[in-house]
Amino acid sequence: MQIYVCIKHVPDSAANISIIGKNSIDENVNFLLNPYDEHALTEAARIKNNLPGTEVIAVCLGKADAEKTLRSALAMGADRGILIAKEKNYDSRVTALALKAAIEHDGKPGLIFTGKESIDEGGMQTMFRIGALFDFPVATNVVKLDIEADRAVVVCELSGGITHTYEMSLPCVMGTGRGLNTPRYPTFPDVVKSKKKPVQKIAFTDLNIKASLAGMRVIELKPLYQARQPKEIKGDATVVAKELIRILKQEAKVL
Amino acid sequence: MDKKFDAIIIGAGVIGCPIAYELSKIGYKTLTVDKHTDAGEGSTAGSCAIVRAHYSTADGVAMAYEGFQYWLNWEKYLDNVKDEKGLARYMNTGSLLVKSQGHDWKKVQKNYDEVGVKYEEWDNDKIKKMIPIVDLHEFWPITRPEDPAFYNEPVKELEGGIFCPEGGYVNDPTLSAHNIMRAAEAKGAKFMFNAEVVDIRSENGKVTGITLKDGTRIDARIVVNVGGPHSFKINKMAKGVWEGCNIKTKALRHEVMYCPSPEGYDYLNDGYHMSDGDIGCYVRPEVGNTFLVGSEDPDCDPQEWVDPDTFYAGKGGHGKDNVLTEEQWKAQCYRLGKRIPTLSVPNQPKGVVDLYDCSDDWIPVYDKSDLPGYYMAIGTSGNQYKNAPVVGHMMAKLIDACEKGLDHDKEPLQYKFKYTDRSTNVGFFSRKREINYNSSFSVNG
Repeated sequence: MQIYVCIKHVPDSAANISIIGKNSIDENVNFLLNPYDEHALTEAARIKNNLPGTEVIAVCLGKADAEKTLRSALAMGADRGILIAKEKNYDSRVTALALKAAIEHDGKPGLIFTGKESIDEGGMQTMFRIGALFDFPVATNVVKLDIEADRAVVVCELSGGITHTYEMSLPCVMGTGRGLNTPRYPTFPDVVKSKKKPVQKIAFTDLNIKASLAGMRVIELKPLYQARQPKEIKGDATVVAKELIRILKQEAKVL
Repeated sequence: MDKKFDAIIIGAGVIGCPIAYELSKIGYKTLTVDKHTDAGEGSTAGSCAIVRAHYSTADGVAMAYEGFQYWLNWEKYLDNVKDEKGLARYMNTGSLLVKSQGHDWKKVQKNYDEVGVKYEEWDNDKIKKMIPIVDLHEFWPITRPEDPAFYNEPVKELEGGIFCPEGGYVNDPTLSAHNIMRAAEAKGAKFMFNAEVVDIRSENGKVTGITLKDGTRIDARIVVNVGGPHSFKINKMAKGVWEGCNIKTKALRHEVMYCPSPEGYDYLNDGYHMSDGDIGCYVRPEVGNTFLVGSEDPDCDPQEWVDPDTFYAGKGGHGKDNVLTEEQWKAQCYRLGKRIPTLSVPNQPKGVVDLYDCSDDWIPVYDKSDLPGYYMAIGTSGNQYKNAPVVGHMMAKLIDACEKGLDHDKEPLQYKFKYTDRSTNVGFFSRKREINYNSSFSVNG
């Protein structure tokens, strides 16, 4: 089986993001593998371990420096990578068309993974668009996955922690959530091995994605400033603990 | 607040607080001012708080070894003061210096013998027994992951290490400064926070006090610069001081990483502090069973000298601001990953970026200045945390002696350690010294 893992090269959530002009950011910050995609890669590597003969291919639509993020995916267990090299940013409609074209050109997907969202744009559309283009079933925020002979049994988490279990035919598309697994990060020997793995580069323009009037574009980005308001709880340990429990219950509503 | 004091200490970090403490103990009325909100919130908070004895000079070893006595007897040092935040804890893990081309370990061993530091020589088998996760190949020379040579297969083995059963780290550096502040307050010292110094005033060639950003003027006949990474800016405020220093200080950006311990290895409870010059890293346990990975500043790594105010404001851009860089994250974690092949390195950098107050030769300046009444405990270069209580005592002795007429420039004070049976020439730390080429010119000191 061929498993395609669609990954995205995103700014580090810890970066100091500054807006340039009205609708783009200064990209001279750390970029890394979208954290939700780490769960996808870890799951793909797990399936590969259980199903001999499986090949895991990481696919990324990104600018030239996204190659390092593809290398991270290879260090996490993908066998090879495909970089669809772009020069500007596209919406999720074009992204899905490009990923579909590259995957279709490369092989025969048994499973396609994406993260359930990207931490930069958070559009949460790509997995559905890919599914629609291939005519494959799609599940998102997948927190448990079992592959059986010709089907997948998946558990998806909905808001409020409710879960739904589905049976899906293969091939299918999975948007992975945080609850699925603990990402398996690479060791230095993994990094060394990944350097020898092949990365194929395709120019976005070679995919002949047809222009369309349909599309989305960012008009304006605005920074969100959140003022920190630390408050010291004073008193002895009993008083502090009581107040903390009250805040967690009544204000934060996490208990 | 009473606006007249004997001594004003600028900086309530882990070195400023003990100076206030020791001066208060000998009767000086002190005020410590700090631009932060509490003690130890400046670059002290970013310190790895390593306590180890290996330095490139015997005096360096002796001072660090003397410091152990303070950390081992922390409550006694604090005169059993109560701190509502609790007490910092000294984690005496033991400290391993890997014998490598990156450290002049033979010199360190000689210094240990001279000072009487307890140590054991460990061969590779012993290291493997004590730290089963390590690969003891030699990876020298240190390179960066961008360099193809970084991935060369090692061929030789290391030759063991020197283990000091005394050594480790302090679990909460900010809290340790806070503890000393409480101890100082118990002796009458005053502290003032959210107080940024904008001027050092002087009259008739003598220091007279400071002016704060809000215009408050506070008078004192003694002012001590313990401003950490801001030390050079404070020196420039005092008439003739900057010009009178042969050794200058400046702020060096430095990254320290948190990398999770390999599965099945309890580094937090079973691990040692380790200085590994072969890969240019030092490590110590951190909460959450992680490795705190510091860099020994190998020559191949870039050095970013920054303006501290721009840096702390999060400005300056990639590699210059207060955000970890992926490049350095990979460099430090992959170097450690060579030594520990089962170490998993997450994709997102995690750690601390802060500043060293670095002197021209990486040896601190503990001295008077060309402006009478103005003193300096600066240029701590990332390696003086462990010495802080000793420096507090030594600076108080120096200030007291100079105020009583000692010409320290001509006849340098000989400081007698409290616990270790030896003295040190405080002139070693003089602002007037020529650059000391015996220094390691690194955080190793």
